[in-house]
Amino acid sequence: MRTTRMILGLTAAATFFVAACGTTEEPTNSAATASAAGPVTVVDSRGKEVKLPHPARRVAATEWNGVEHLVSLGVMPVGVSDIKGYGQWVSAEKLDGTPKDIGTRGEPSLDTLGSLGLDLVIVTDSVTEGALEQIEAKVPVIVINGGSAKDPIAGMYANLDTIAKATGTEAEAAQLKSEFEQKLTTGKAEVAKLGAAGEKVAFSDAYVTSGSVSIRPYTKGALVSAVFGRLGLETAWPMDGDPAYGLAQADVEGLTKLPDVRFWYMANNADGDPYQQELANNAIWRNLPFVKSGKVHRFPDSLWMFGGPKSMEQFVDAAVAALKG
Amino acid sequence: MVTLSEPPVAAVRRRGRLALLGIALAALVLLGSAVHLTQGTASVAAFDVLRLVFGGATGDTTAVVLESRLPRLLAALLVGAALGVAGAVLQSVSRNTLASPDTLAVNSGAHLAVVAVAAFGVSLPLLGATGVAFAGGLAAAVFVLALSGTGGTGIIRLVLAGTAISLALISVTQVLLLLYAQETRGLFAWGEGSLEQNGLGGVRTLGPLIGVAVAALLGLSRRLDLVHVGDDHARTLGVHVGRVRVAAIALAVLLAAAAVTLAGPIGFVGLAAPALARLLAPVVPGLHRHAALLPFSAALGAALLLGADVLLRAIISPQRALEVPTGVVTTILGALFLIVLARTARITSATAEPPSAGARGGVSALRYRVVLAGLALAVAGAAVGAVLLGDAKLLLGDVVTWLSGQAGPIVTGVLDTRVPRVVAALLAGAALALGGALTQAVARNPLAEPGMIGVVGGAGLGAVTVITLVSGVGFWTLTGAAGLGAALAMAVVFAVAARGGFASERLVLIGFGVHAATQALVTLLITLSDPWNETKSLTWLGGSTYGRTLTHLVPMALALLLAVPVLIRMRRELDLLALDDETPRVLGVPVGRTRLLLLSCAVLLTGAAVAGIGVLTFVGLVAPHAARAIVGSRHSRLLPTAALLGALLVCAADTLGRTVIAPGQLPAGLMTAIIGAPYFVWLLYRHRRGSD
Repeated sequence: MRTTRMILGLTAAATFFVAACGTTEEPTNSAATASAAGPVTVVDSRGKEVKLPHPARRVAATEWNGVEHLVSLGVMPVGVSDIKGYGQWVSAEKLDGTPKDIGTRGEPSLDTLGSLGLDLVIVTDSVTEGALEQIEAKVPVIVINGGSAKDPIAGMYANLDTIAKATGTEAEAAQLKSEFEQKLTTGKAEVAKLGAAGEKVAFSDAYVTSGSVSIRPYTKGALVSAVFGRLGLETAWPMDGDPAYGLAQADVEGLTKLPDVRFWYMANNADGDPYQQELANNAIWRNLPFVKSGKVHRFPDSLWMFGGPKSMEQFVDAAVAALKG
Repeated sequence: MVTLSEPPVAAVRRRGRLALLGIALAALVLLGSAVHLTQGTASVAAFDVLRLVFGGATGDTTAVVLESRLPRLLAALLVGAALGVAGAVLQSVSRNTLASPDTLAVNSGAHLAVVAVAAFGVSLPLLGATGVAFAGGLAAAVFVLALSGTGGTGIIRLVLAGTAISLALISVTQVLLLLYAQETRGLFAWGEGSLEQNGLGGVRTLGPLIGVAVAALLGLSRRLDLVHVGDDHARTLGVHVGRVRVAAIALAVLLAAAAVTLAGPIGFVGLAAPALARLLAPVVPGLHRHAALLPFSAALGAALLLGADVLLRAIISPQRALEVPTGVVTTILGALFLIVLARTARITSATAEPPSAGARGGVSALRYRVVLAGLALAVAGAAVGAVLLGDAKLLLGDVVTWLSGQAGPIVTGVLDTRVPRVVAALLAGAALALGGALTQAVARNPLAEPGMIGVVGGAGLGAVTVITLVSGVGFWTLTGAAGLGAALAMAVVFAVAARGGFASERLVLIGFGVHAATQALVTLLITLSDPWNETKSLTWLGGSTYGRTLTHLVPMALALLLAVPVLIRMRRELDLLALDDETPRVLGVPVGRTRLLLLSCAVLLTGAAVAGIGVLTFVGLVAPHAARAIVGSRHSRLLPTAALLGALLVCAADTLGRTVIAPGQLPAGLMTAIIGAPYFVWLLYRHRRGSD
């Protein structure tokens, strides 16, 4: 029996060898064709100088903020992480269907990245250290911040500018920034007109764990909170968030520390609405001042909280709409 | 509380001790509950809670206490009690002090069932979820018990079968969580066990169920006493052993399933509480009878879980405690307790028989060569397959052009990243298998595998500690920390187990405890320092070849290069050391020095493998056992065979992990457990038939 098994195995191996001969790609010695534009040098968030022979055209991005920046700059990426999730969460800038899925955001498939013939890969610092080196050995890599709780809007601009420089789209970036500043100015005026300037806002999302609700507050260091701040609205969460995204954790009883604020939240139809479904009958929730006074408001689906100027413009609109409603 | 020196006294005094213990426990639970009620994220202080009791509280306080604090407290008490009783009953009917919802895979089976149902998009009410959890838990428990038997001698076999099946079930659960991330959102953190409750709903639904099950078991207590003593004895007294056993197991599993539904799999309470009760039984007469044992196990379980929750929130503040599942703390506490218990408990059973003792003593030289050549071919085939398969499928010609440096950019890009992963898997597999074979021989214990006795976990803890405390450490610092962690864990396990001469049970108990504690500490470190980094936790809790570069291969290659010559020289000493203490000494082998040298080799191999691809258990256990079953137990044959099998296993697991959900990735550790566990179970089953 053991011999039979052995023979079977050997036969299988032999078949495999014979069948697997041949190549998927012709052997080459020459480098790819050069572009007309000259070389660029970009300093990324690591402080590293990344030299490109010409502005990058074929680009992949592992985090959705990088993807959004690229699309808004008019550079449709070649590879994008978790395309389905992007479609579910980011409505500001749509993909045109051409990008290839490169796997998860934390562990993009190095195989796929290697086979796309890229000029540039944009990652955040959450990618495994070994993977970064491996991608970098083949393709130039620019590391951008996932977020920076110290000055979130400046951090977003820095990421946008870095990507714009690497792809030769600085004019578009300047345009995006001035449009966004314009949006903030008009948004602020509207907030003032509605008499809401200086009001306190608590923005959060939430997830359900075996029937109990965990709440994720966006504290003062979060990008969304910074945008609200520019509109003249103050973030009410008392706790500190993490240094990158400004995110904290809270449970339902922790909400009792909030005064009568405007309680705004994100949910996604794909995951349901924990506040309406799980908390509707919870006495703590019903007893909260902002629930009693009806100041709870759910934002539209698919606004990306960690995105670029286009996503943040959506938040300006959503905030104004929430104040009106 | 109880003094040992007192002479035996009258029955009245004895009952007095039991009552005293009961009062002390009740006071402890009451005090813990009172403290528990004052803890939380709302600014509701002890004074406010007190006012509520006397009816003078505001609506806010009432809501917080009734919807958040009280449910959490009741959940802690209910889950603790249910797990304590379930553990006690399972220990009695299997006549095995190590049986518990954890070691019988009840928790992991129930968890898998709940996750699987969620993954396929079915949303169940709480009682339905309990039913599903019950079915999953029962299936797992029956399977483990069928493999290990209930004869009272199968301690080792029970731990082996239970751990293997538990590992496999947890891995399948994790794969489901990764595959259906959307549908099972939130169940990831729940895998560690959390007492968070949304209102009294859960407690109100499952409380009566738990109460009825405990009452039914109390009703069975007289019969359980008899079954625990012995089948024949019970039968002569007219007890239907089979029926009692089936009923008791079903009720215990129901309790564990209800606990899993309410709070997720909370680790070690079901093992520690009844074990503690049994430990007290010699000094508290009457406690050994189930009528007393069950309530006391329940009370101890409740006290343990409550204590863990109070402690956690007292130490790191209720706000930060939101990030840490309570199950992590009970696991650390329970594991420490287990280690102490193993140190002091008298281990009665005779030396354990290696599971593969029934395997052939040796095979003919020709046959061995054929087997070895076949394995080498299989490894080569797996390696080639691993290089060709993946997200982008390649052909052999691509590899040839790549080797000659003429490949196009795409093939170069793919192979440059893929080849280091394949080599990492091969090296890690071989290193772990050799480490396992060495430890088993030196400790003369079929279960003394670096993963099973906590050494792999220690290495992982060392590495994660360095990553957490110092940012941007180099890979060599990481390797050093992993090696140091492995050495420390091994030193601790062996030092504690040395008392009474490395009894098999003791070593495994202690190692099992150390492994659980290190995994819990890794979870704790990651959740506290880097809560949003799922990738990091997957690598360090599951083992992954993702993103490995040539640098990562160096320590493993070096460790193998250093260890292999030593092993070739020491192969005969290994045979002798595996035999007994006397023979090598008589034949002039310096036992102490040889042991130290070989164990150092094992630490080196294990530490390098963990630094290379993370915490990967199971390889070091399966590969040597399989090798022994195929070529016999002579180390000159066992070691090369084991190394090849280990390399084959990890390489195949990694290839599968990279291709199944491509471009997504499954960590190699999950696939190793899913592939390795069934083989191991088959090995156990075959041996069981052989020895009966």
